[in-house]
Parts: sequence; C-alpha cells; structure tokens
Amino acid sequence: MGVNAIINVNDVNFYYGNFKALTDIKMDFKKNLVTALIGPSGCGKSTLLRLLNRMNDLIDGTKVEGEILFAGQNIYAPDVDPVEIRKKIGMVFQKPNPFPKTIYNNISYGPKLMWNLSKSDIDDLVEQSLKQAVLWDEVKDILNKSAMNLSGGQQQRLCIARALAMKPDVLLMDEPTSALDPISTAKIEELIDDLKKNYTIIIVTHNMQQAARISDETAFFYIGKLIEYNKTGKIFTKPDVQHTEDYITGRFG
Amino acid sequence: MPPRYPLKAKGYKELTNVINKIKDNSMQWRYFKQKIFFGAVRISALIIVLTLGGIVFHIIFNGIGVISWDFITKYPTDSMTKGGIMPAIIGTLYLTVGAISVGLPLGIVSAIYLTEYARQGKIVRIIKVGINCLAGVPSVVFGLFGLGLFVVFLKFGSSILAGSLTLGFLILPTIIGAAEEALKSVPQTFREASLALGVSKWQTIFRIVLPNALPGIMTGSILGIGRAAGETAPIMFTAAAYFTSKLPGSIFDEVMALPYHIYVLATAGTNIEQTRPIQFGTALVLVALVLGIDLIAIVIRSYMRKQKRW
Repeated sequence: MGVNAIINVNDVNFYYGNFKALTDIKMDFKKNLVTALIGPSGCGKSTLLRLLNRMNDLIDGTKVEGEILFAGQNIYAPDVDPVEIRKKIGMVFQKPNPFPKTIYNNISYGPKLMWNLSKSDIDDLVEQSLKQAVLWDEVKDILNKSAMNLSGGQQQRLCIARALAMKPDVLLMDEPTSALDPISTAKIEELIDDLKKNYTIIIVTHNMQQAARISDETAFFYIGKLIEYNKTGKIFTKPDVQHTEDYITGRFG
Repeated sequence: MPPRYPLKAKGYKELTNVINKIKDNSMQWRYFKQKIFFGAVRISALIIVLTLGGIVFHIIFNGIGVISWDFITKYPTDSMTKGGIMPAIIGTLYLTVGAISVGLPLGIVSAIYLTEYARQGKIVRIIKVGINCLAGVPSVVFGLFGLGLFVVFLKFGSSILAGSLTLGFLILPTIIGAAEEALKSVPQTFREASLALGVSKWQTIFRIVLPNALPGIMTGSILGIGRAAGETAPIMFTAAAYFTSKLPGSIFDEVMALPYHIYVLATAGTNIEQTRPIQFGTALVLVALVLGIDLIAIVIRSYMRKQKRW
C-alpha cells in the first residue's frame, strides 16, 4: 500500500452472473493525481470505475470478491452504506446527464438533501461549484433556465459542477468527453488538470492522446486483467509489457 | 396429365402476366401497395372518429332538449319523470373523486414497487399477470366483491366509501399499467446521476423519477377517471341509490349517480318511454362531465410537460 494512496483495490474479482468481468485486480490510486484507465472495449475498465463508488450495485446478479479500501475502510464491508460512499466519491458519466431542472437546481439538488443549508449558503455553493467547473461566466445570468438548453460541453461541465458541489474526495469520470466536440473536450481536459489540486481523479478513456495529455498514471486493462500500471510517461514511452505497447501504438484494439 | 390447378384456366394466365408486369416495374408496384395500405389506415381512423362522432351526436341530438339550468341544479320530481338530476351529478363527482383518491396512490405505489424495487423475476411476472387478470374481470364481479367485502363484511353499508373503494380497485390495473410505463420512460441516466451524488434510492424516486413520470401517470389516470365515472355495475350494489331526497351528509351515505340513474330510468322507471329525453339528457351530462374532467387533466398534464423536457 502506497503511503499516499486514497483507494486500494485488493485482489478484486467481479462477476456479471456467471461472466467474470474482472480478475485479480490489485492496484492503488494515489491522492491528488489523475489516473487514466485505458484498454479496448469490454476490458473491464468502466466496470472497475463503477465498482469504486458501488454503482454496480444497481445491476442485478453481480458479485464482488476481494476488497476495495477507501481511506482505509473496505467499501464492500456489510455495514457500509453505499450512499455514504457515493457522497465521498463523485461520478461524471459518458453522456452529459443533467436533470431536467434549472441550472441552479441541478447543482443545489444534492447538497439540499444532504445538508441543512440556508439560501445564501446554497447560493454560494452553486456559484463556487460552477466557478470550479469553469462554467460560471457562461451561465451566471441564466441560472433559472433549464439545464437542457445548454450545449453538450456545457452540460458536461454542469455535471462536473454538480458532482463537485457534494464536496467529494474522489471524482470518477467515465469517458467524460467521448460525446463532446474537440473544443469542449479541451475545456474539460483543462478543467481536469485544474481540479487535481483538490481532488483525486480517476478517468476512463478510449482516447490514448487524452490519457497521455492529462494523466499522471495510466493503467492498461485487457480482458478483465490489469496488464500494466505505471507513470503515464513510462507507459507511453517505454512500457514493460509488449501487449501494452501494441495497444498504445494502435496495433490492436 | 390433368391440370393440377384448375384455377389456371383461361384468363388466369393473362391476369398473372399483368401482375408480373407490374411486379417487374417494381417501384410502381410498391407505390400501389403503399396506396392500398395508407387507404386502409385512413379508413380505420375514419371509422373510429365516425363512431365516436355518431355516439356523441346521437346523445346531443336526443338529450339537448331537456338540458337547462334547472335540469342540472334541481332534484327529480314526480317519481323521477320530471325535474333535474342534480343529486346524481354530485354523487358521480363524489364517487369519481373517491375512486381516484383510492386508485391513484395505490396504483402509483404498486408501480413504484414493480419498476424500481422488485427484482425482475418470477414473482414480478406473476404479479403482472395478476394485474392483467384484474383488468379483465367483469365490472359486475367487482360490484359483488365490493358488496361482500365493503358493504357487508366491513359494514360500510351502501355508501360513497364502499363505492369509491370498489371503483378504486376497478381502475387500479389501468393506473398501475400507465404508471409503470411512465416510470420506465424516465431515463435510467437520471437515476444514476442522482444516486451517484450520494442521494438515497427513495429520495431519487421521490425527487427525480416520480416528478418526471407524473405527466405519463396523469394520462393513464384520465382513462381511469372516465371508467370510474361511467361504470354502473360496480356501484349498483355498493353506493348507488334509486332516489335520494337530500345530498349525502358523509361518506357513509348512499348517493345517486348518473350512470345508475340512466339505468334506472331506462329499465325500471315508472314511465320508460316518457322519460326517454331525461335519459338522454342524463347521458349527455355524464359524457360532458367525463370530458370535462379529462380536459382538466389534459391541461394539468400539458402544463407539467412544459416544465419537464429532456
């Protein structure tokens, strides 16, 4: 276990029914770093991501073996409430999924249910979250308009702001830019770079250049196994495993 | 060798040739098929509209003559051969509101259980088959059930309460079905987004799923409202009075109701022929009432739809 690891995955196996989606995964995610999970479709990287905040609980017939420690506590221990875990470990999805509410209410929805906040506290939180997600200047005059009117890139930044408003420690991102145009993608990447000062970010991406650009560490998965996990610079210049090199150079996948 | 297909006689060959020619010219053949199909669809739609129009026209034509302010605000007089139908209007309103108050919450809660909580498997399938069977039960059986359970066993007597409960159960399958569809149509991504924020499942359902499903649930309820207001058999034994000289004072009182009033006048009245206009007038009021309630529901629904958009 690394000293500054925030999440430790210890010998995790995961099953969808009889199908084994992850085999003997063992890895530590370090605090305040951006870790990229890469690999071909169906390699289990998204599955692993969704294990980290127990989103796979929503799927019937799944089974987890092994343990995942968050700040030293096994999040799959029987007495752990997944709701508590998800407050600490936020998530941004592949497709922007704002609620059909106003921009303001999208942000205030979670905090209002969780804390007893005054109107001005919520106002501050909304502003602060939107500023963190670099969306404030674009939406400060239309906070009471529906979030559905925003562009895809704005919606995704709104979703990031919504997750940040819950004051999580970790932010999980499941291909957050795959549905966005290049300019929106660049904005989100910039944002990720900014956010890692305060948050630990784990991002699944299909885009190799993106992983190389924004991550500090990269993990390569193939058919449910962790093949190689190292500093991003090392993975992309001198990987230890031939398989990794083949994937990164585009020989398969 | 005798011909194997006696149909292939003179003329048949020519016809086949023509058809083959058209088939060869395949675009033309396809347009022809399309025209036939569209024509059939248009005629079907027309038949539906004409049927509805015919019924409404028939009722209006025969009933409009007796409609007056007095007709809808006065009690019946002279053994119900003259006067108004006010108590029946009020009674039907009570029963409809009562049925919705019973059916809507119960139906929504059942649908939430079926779509959000229950594990999709054998038990859910059995429950769903049960609900479909319930929808197919003849309404008079509901009436007898209501008589046995609410009127006799629970000692509610023939009353608004017993009638509302009976009608509520009658429209339950309609409401469950509509609510289920509406809940399922709320995108899964909304649920995920809410749960990923650390919001509990119940809060997610209550704050995100249900509000977005409400317009759809309303649509289903509209059908339920129409059915509750129009049914005769379920209230015959459980709520409806032949004649009352005062309005009900509590939910344990009997009421007159429009469909039962029509039934009584048309089959058991003192002078069936003479009261024919009153029968049509009552039917007209019933249809107008149901359409009126529907209209209110549609307005509320479209208002809610405007709020929610995704």
